[in-house]
Amino acid sequence: MTLEIVKREGERPLAPRESTFSRDFWSRLSAGEFSTTQCQVCKHTMFPPAQHCSVCWSKEMLWVTLSGKGKLYARTTVHAAPSIFQAQVPYSVGIIDLEEGIRIIASLIDGKDKLKNDEAIQLIVLSYDDGPLFAVRRM
Amino acid sequence: MNNNPVIISYAATPVGRLMPKPGEMIEQFEHEILSDLVISAVNDTGIDKADIGSLILTSPTPATQQLGFATFLAARLGLKCQGQISDVNNMGITGGLAFDQACNDVSNGRAKFSLALGIEYSTSASIDVMMDRGIRVVGDVDFQSPFGLTPIAWYAFDADRYMYETGVTREDLAHIAVKNRAHAALNPLAQYRTAITVEDVTSQRPIVEPLGLYEVSPRSDGAICLLVCSEDTARALNKPYVRVLGRGFAHDGYHQIGDHHHDMIAFPAAAEASNTALKQANVKIDDIDLAELYAPCTITEVLVSEAIGIAERGTASAIAKDGETALGGRLPVSTSGGCLSRGHPPGLTALYGLAELYDQLLHKAEQRQVKDAQLGMHICELGNYNAALTHILETGR
Repeated sequence: MTLEIVKREGERPLAPRESTFSRDFWSRLSAGEFSTTQCQVCKHTMFPPAQHCSVCWSKEMLWVTLSGKGKLYARTTVHAAPSIFQAQVPYSVGIIDLEEGIRIIASLIDGKDKLKNDEAIQLIVLSYDDGPLFAVRRM
Repeated sequence: MNNNPVIISYAATPVGRLMPKPGEMIEQFEHEILSDLVISAVNDTGIDKADIGSLILTSPTPATQQLGFATFLAARLGLKCQGQISDVNNMGITGGLAFDQACNDVSNGRAKFSLALGIEYSTSASIDVMMDRGIRVVGDVDFQSPFGLTPIAWYAFDADRYMYETGVTREDLAHIAVKNRAHAALNPLAQYRTAITVEDVTSQRPIVEPLGLYEVSPRSDGAICLLVCSEDTARALNKPYVRVLGRGFAHDGYHQIGDHHHDMIAFPAAAEASNTALKQANVKIDDIDLAELYAPCTITEVLVSEAIGIAERGTASAIAKDGETALGGRLPVSTSGGCLSRGHPPGLTALYGLAELYDQLLHKAEQRQVKDAQLGMHICELGNYNAALTHILETGR
């Protein structure tokens, strides 16, 4: 399933680093796919993607694509931020529970009404000049 | 032989502003402030400084100029320790770890006396210096920090979810701040001592919604030194002391949050660390006369109180309002004023909390004295209470 890709002017305030391993996540994200790794021994799916399983320490991992659908667990709007985020203030961030059982942090795109706890959300890709980030909007 | 650790003495500056403003004439350097406290705490007991065998320093914040501080300070004080000299740093649990390590050095015989101490500057520090580090400490720098989560933003998540699940309102939570400010009004070490109302709390500008200025910690400087020795040593000195009756540590396995759905506001590490300490002390939570909590936000005190069994889930702010956790109540919580009003130099907050228990358990707390206090509990934490360290202290006799 391909996520909506929204163009954003400028660069990400704090760009994630990329390793030879983690860059797969970011290049898939750029293409509209939210992926992570699943352990082939104990079937544990984790986030962020990792080279070893946090449960059984196996290194037999496979990339899996997640649906990008889930619910908002908790939210905040940040008004006091370090200067690299000053241009964004106030900005909203949420804890998102994806339907595959994974919990992530993502920016919130509220729209007209604020997203509410347990409201259904959909991941989208924010495509900045220097690379992607992910965010959620109302389903 | 009784090698059980005790606090025999302490000295501290009031929490507030110690750090010089840019361009301001410096009255005393960091090590001079701290040296005065060490000398004061040690002279109180009349011991020979040559008997100080270990010095455990909380790592200074980025705003403190002097580095290599632990051995630097030992040299300035003419201490040649045979136990250890080190500095410790692990987010909010730092002060508690310094104390715990000092206790270990005494109980395993490495030191006759041990110092747990530190100085922290932040009031005149650049917000960027503090926060740029903060966002990297409390999140995965590649998968969480890019969204701009400051340390207290995580507590804001707690507040949001808690209010949603329990129906408790921001006005209800404000009673924690009001109660703790009333405690701080009676504490000469406290940073903010003027009474506030619920309306004062809820009308402040937002910092991390739903929390506003009076629901999060202020910026605070501080300096404090605790002197630790064994119970045998304390008895030989014939000085009053408080003994460490139980200790417990637990980590919930997460860094802020787990990567699977879980109850973020249950604070299982706080419950487990406290149960371990209570069991070791052979007492129950209902036996505790007062508790000092590392709680940087109103919601944090609520969640810890509920995790460790001081309050049922959803009731901690109501019982604060009713006075059960206020001075004079069933189990006073944060009689120092807590992080919000006593002030919060994060690495030292636990040491200030332990000092509050020392004063209370030796009945030196004057106007804010908890009547007949014999047993006190202290809890500090890191992350979103991912790890907790509990100490149970008892009046020595």
